[in-house]
Amino acid sequence: MAVGTPSSGYLERPKPSGLADVIEVILDKGLVIDAYVRVSLIGIEILTIDARIVIASVDTYLRFAEAVGRLNLAEADDSQGLPELMESMTSGGAKSKTSGALEAVKEKITGGDDDDDDGDDDEKKTPSRSRRSSGSSSGSSSSRRRKSS
Amino acid sequence: MADAEGNVYVYGVASAAERARLPDAGVAGAGVRIVEHDGLAALVSDLDSGTLVAAREVRAHWRVIEAAAASTTVLPVRFATVLAGDRAVVDQLLEPQADRLTELLRSLAGRVQLAVKGEYDEEVLLREIVRETPAVSALRERVSTRPEAASYYDRIRLGELVSGEIGRRRTRDQRMALAAFEGHAESIVANEPRSANGAFDLAFLVSRDKVDAFGAPVRALSEALGDRIRLRYLGPLPPYSFVDEQRAQGAPSWA
Repeated sequence: MAVGTPSSGYLERPKPSGLADVIEVILDKGLVIDAYVRVSLIGIEILTIDARIVIASVDTYLRFAEAVGRLNLAEADDSQGLPELMESMTSGGAKSKTSGALEAVKEKITGGDDDDDDGDDDEKKTPSRSRRSSGSSSGSSSSRRRKSS
Repeated sequence: MADAEGNVYVYGVASAAERARLPDAGVAGAGVRIVEHDGLAALVSDLDSGTLVAAREVRAHWRVIEAAAASTTVLPVRFATVLAGDRAVVDQLLEPQADRLTELLRSLAGRVQLAVKGEYDEEVLLREIVRETPAVSALRERVSTRPEAASYYDRIRLGELVSGEIGRRRTRDQRMALAAFEGHAESIVANEPRSANGAFDLAFLVSRDKVDAFGAPVRALSEALGDRIRLRYLGPLPPYSFVDEQRAQGAPSWA
């Protein structure tokens, strides 16, 4: 997903949120009323799929292993020598290659779209992307923090 | 105006004294209206169908709350909450929870939610894990020298170790992030990061006039984190994360 280049001022003030930024909050938070009427929600399992389920899968382990294996450790050397500079110039693609494992998981959850508010792309999140409709994602995934002083 | 017999979709609750601004259309294209009781105003839409397409209606739900929150304090109700008519909105929501809702509206008035999310740079993170974890670097070495078919279980083990290290770093980095905001928010909720490369996902309750000042700890944290974690700073949002039980149980213990 596209992330803007950090500039000195990008954290000056909060960025107004798009739907993609707040979707977890909308689905997970809010007042809960006990005696609700059940309605069918088409596609909700895609929106609520829990990242943790995916992360714990063998599939994901293999992707992490692959991503770690791909790292060019010579390049990671902290000394800012010339060989390193040349290496990073010639392997400009390394970053996009390794960003695969985590991003791939994320795309399954949000459809990968930064919200651009153009309502017409909603349908692409419906059933075909469903991976799992396990009920185990409904638990609260938050913990409350408060200073204990 | 309302079909009192039909189901109604509930977006949120505001004070009846302040007129919440309502958008023209809510879920399923229906108009948005108010059910009022005892000083409280529930924002609702009539719902004809028993089926909602989640991806579309999440957006509608969000827009209604955003619009109303621009003009007043709104307590968002959980997405896809439907009650059996206006009577049920009063009998099951506004009446039994009147004290709590009124108190929440009072305590949240003039306050907004700000979100700070940290996202790992995956490559930087993985390098760090290889560098700092002998078991990972040894296993990585071993996997790289053997044919793929022969290293299947080693690769799973390697990924599992990496995954565990990511979890450990999440815990540590979240603790560091929380410390950076001590004294800057009235209340904090730490959510489990939902995005796969998320390091932490924090929600803060901040007085509207303190929003500008909140940028300072955000920037300080960003500098402390360097290129390991990129911050996203979002808001202001309606207080989604601060309307549930725990918060209602007392005033924040620090400010």
